[in-house]
Amino acid sequence: METILIQLFNGLINGAFYALLSLGLAVIFGMLRVVNFMHGALYMLGAFGAFLLGTTLGVSFWWALLISPLAVAAVGYGLERTLLRRLYDLDVLYNLLLTFGLTLLIQDVMRLRFGIQGVPYPAPPQLQGVVVVGFMFFPTYRLFVLVFSLAVCLGTWWLIERTRAGMIIRASTENPMLTRALGVDVDRWIPLVFAFGVALAGLAGVLAAPMRAVSPLMGADLIITTFAIVVIGGMGSILGSVVTGFVVGALSAVAAVYYPAAANVLVFVIMTVVLLVRPAGLFGAAEAA
Amino acid sequence: MMRRALGWAALAAVALALPWIMYPVLATDIVTWGLFAAAFDILLGYTGLLSFGQAAYFGGGAYAAALLAQRAGVPFPLNALAAGLIAAVMAVPLMGLAIRRRGIYFAMITLAFAEMVFYVINEWRSLTGGENGVQGIPRVAPGGFSLTSPLVYYYAALPLAVLGLLLCWRIVRSPFGRVLLAIRENEVRTEMLGYPVGRYKLIAAVLSCAISGFAGGLWVINHGFVALDAVHWSTSGLVLTMVLLGGIGTRLGPLAGAALVLYLRDFLSTWTDAWGVVTGLIFIAVILIFRRGIVGTLEPLLVRGPTADRASPAPAGLSPQGGPVP
Amino acid sequence: MIRWVALLCAALLVLGVSGYPAAGQGTVRLTHGKMVIAVINDQSGVYADLGGKNGVEAVKMAVEDFQKRYGASSLGGTVDVLSADHQNKPDVGASKAAEFYDRDNAGLVIDVPTSSVGIAIAHVAAQKHRLFFAVGAATTALSNEDCNKYTFHYGYDVYMLANGTAIAVVKQGGTQWYIVYPNYAFGQDMNAKFSAAVDHAGGKVLLSDPTPFPNPTEDFSTFLIKARTLRPRLQILGAMQAGQDLVNLVKQYNEFGLRQQGVKLAIGLLFLTDIHSLTPAAIQGTVFTTAWYWNMDKQAREWADRFYARTKVRPTFVQAGDYDGTWQYLEAVRRAGTDDADKVVAQLEGYRFNDFFARHAQIRKQDHVLLHDAYLAEVKAPADVKEPWDYVKIVQTIPAGQAFQPLSQVHCTMAP
Repeated sequence: METILIQLFNGLINGAFYALLSLGLAVIFGMLRVVNFMHGALYMLGAFGAFLLGTTLGVSFWWALLISPLAVAAVGYGLERTLLRRLYDLDVLYNLLLTFGLTLLIQDVMRLRFGIQGVPYPAPPQLQGVVVVGFMFFPTYRLFVLVFSLAVCLGTWWLIERTRAGMIIRASTENPMLTRALGVDVDRWIPLVFAFGVALAGLAGVLAAPMRAVSPLMGADLIITTFAIVVIGGMGSILGSVVTGFVVGALSAVAAVYYPAAANVLVFVIMTVVLLVRPAGLFGAAEAA
Repeated sequence: MMRRALGWAALAAVALALPWIMYPVLATDIVTWGLFAAAFDILLGYTGLLSFGQAAYFGGGAYAAALLAQRAGVPFPLNALAAGLIAAVMAVPLMGLAIRRRGIYFAMITLAFAEMVFYVINEWRSLTGGENGVQGIPRVAPGGFSLTSPLVYYYAALPLAVLGLLLCWRIVRSPFGRVLLAIRENEVRTEMLGYPVGRYKLIAAVLSCAISGFAGGLWVINHGFVALDAVHWSTSGLVLTMVLLGGIGTRLGPLAGAALVLYLRDFLSTWTDAWGVVTGLIFIAVILIFRRGIVGTLEPLLVRGPTADRASPAPAGLSPQGGPVP
Repeated sequence: MIRWVALLCAALLVLGVSGYPAAGQGTVRLTHGKMVIAVINDQSGVYADLGGKNGVEAVKMAVEDFQKRYGASSLGGTVDVLSADHQNKPDVGASKAAEFYDRDNAGLVIDVPTSSVGIAIAHVAAQKHRLFFAVGAATTALSNEDCNKYTFHYGYDVYMLANGTAIAVVKQGGTQWYIVYPNYAFGQDMNAKFSAAVDHAGGKVLLSDPTPFPNPTEDFSTFLIKARTLRPRLQILGAMQAGQDLVNLVKQYNEFGLRQQGVKLAIGLLFLTDIHSLTPAAIQGTVFTTAWYWNMDKQAREWADRFYARTKVRPTFVQAGDYDGTWQYLEAVRRAGTDDADKVVAQLEGYRFNDFFARHAQIRKQDHVLLHDAYLAEVKAPADVKEPWDYVKIVQTIPAGQAFQPLSQVHCTMAP
């Protein structure tokens, strides 16, 4: 029983990464109808950003937590303005293909520069050590990750649902023409929203850096799981993606106790079941299949 | 007419001479991947379905042929044909489920299913060898005729690949193929016209996957071993690169793309291993600048006159309407 | 009379000058006019440091030294050293090997860490009738079920590691084990051999778990948590990971504070480069088995100094093995007078020698394993490290006769 509880907790922490990434993906897709295959690569860039800030400028983890996502956001903004916007008139799949190509490019450039096995990044001294409560024990840093990502997810939800900026974004998505007619400069918001979604990925990367190997392919398999989570949660549903992310993380960790291999496949099995039963996703609006 | 006949003759000559111009194993690779790319194009170019998970069928077929050859002693063309059949059987439930969604969802679901196949093959170690792969696959034709020489194998595999290719072309240039094009252009309308769109999509998908599996069988016998790379998403990405570069929705595009990509990769491997950079750049260049691919761009320039019996040229968009796809 | 003597002298002189072979050595005739040695290893992944580009350098060094010793034309032609990165993938490795054998007429493929790739290339070598020296790969399968006439297991193997380390650790009191191993040929073999060795020495393996290989997340938390819950019985966490995998596991082991909670760490395979990445402080006192260490004696050190001058790092035993294997191959070619694979194999089988890398060495005929002395070693405490890279002290020598699998346990049938 002990084992299961601890593993569940561990799974929630993995789920936090899924949640953050699928949050960014869902925001970008929901608002912009762009399927950002690059999300995993940008997550990786966020982690490397923290590493580079630390090694070349001596920037601490805490500052990196702020600066690196902003840097990734800037990269995203630049890519959107120069490349992605050209494809908005075309089928959505072209954006998927373009971001896929960009992913290959970014990952390989980083691999050539840093090698494939990755670079080390230590946890900040304030968060080192283990927290022990009864039989539950956890590296302090991992607890921090869990709490921080929950906070970010809640913060994003609040931003989108409860602020004026969020209202504009939602309106721009549902009916861009009407929103323009009401005097809102929709085109200005698009790259900003993209940059925001991408910043979330970068943030996840910085959080992952002390826990995982900071390596060029760290986002490559993660992105596929994230896609599956977004399909399960319901494309465009922010709440759906976040909840699904945590749940899948937790379930996978528990499954791993009995059958370690299952952890990786579980998300796809869940996806298959959801597709059979509720094709729009758990939280998605029913769509014309 | 003369020009066309000359063109085909030239192509045939190149095909026959290929293993003398380059390393025979590479030549066979070009032929087998060309077939895979052509099968992939049935889905992408003609039906408008972007599957990100075809590696499951190509690689799955490769594993099937490998195991049949190594464990059951099944001789050459039969193991590849069986591979195609097994890939088809795999495709029925997986594609059947995937085509319930369209556009991006379909792409993401096929990707996820391919990952699932990857993990299954990785875990089923007793059958597939897991990370170690399947080694020492024999290369024998019926009657014990040995195909060990790479040159001999090329000529053994070539006619089969050509047949596969002809099958692909036949599928897309038939009344069935016409309906696929209609589905690509406007699925809802095609449905309104009374065609059972779901069934058409499934049949196209299963055919595409079957031929992909067959190509995988031909490919694996060429190399004599297979490991997880064959079912990895990078393989799906590679065939996609080939078709995009060559030209979606054209007959020769996939072949040209396969030849170019494989030759480029081989050529570059002596200088650099920045293959991902090259592939990424190709993708970006093709998507942004010349969406019709090489053949798609060249064909209108080379072929003049009425094009009535050609399949409609590669569209400017995978589906002509931009904006949200439900 | 004098004229005859003069003529005889002249004749002898001419014959001598024209290179009439010295006693015992024939001129070498090469089948393709030149020799090609191909180094296939991991140059960009988890095992890039233990062999990698410096492994290629070691092979080049061997060729240069050989030509310096015996003369540039002693091998009957030039020797080219080619290399390729197998990315730890069996299919890539096998393709590269086939290409090197076919297109470049390579007579020898050497190095190859990652046991699954080693097995794949062994099959290719057998098919193409060319030589393969597995220096980096550890699985005993190479000398058992996957053995063949053209494959030589040169340097170390899983049996050597398990026998040395497991027995030493159990003797120190670590009897209850939890083994984690990477899920491919090497790890599976390590698990099997270590479990057997622990049992044999009187210990007990409570549980063993495979970890994914390759491991994209590099996250071993599931297993570390499991280790903790196996207390209080559990004493030893046996980590069979290698290279960068190991480095990450040890880091997380320290992160979870398992040592303070009574779970000690035993490492199956430890390279000099891993200790360098982790720093001795992280694993001081760890006992492990090694095939060779650069500072173990004067002879080893001399070679290591030359390697250092060339590469600015100290060599791992794989890099030393790459040099030595190349050297012995070239010697065998010289003795055979040809690079014809079958003849070279005949020269290698049963050959005994003693050099900077392999002491009391013999290439066993039945399974093509290089038998030689192995060493039980210990990671020094940081205070004892006197110079860069001097992280290890040798505790004990395991004689060649005991270090490797006894013939009675070997199951190898080679086609002639």
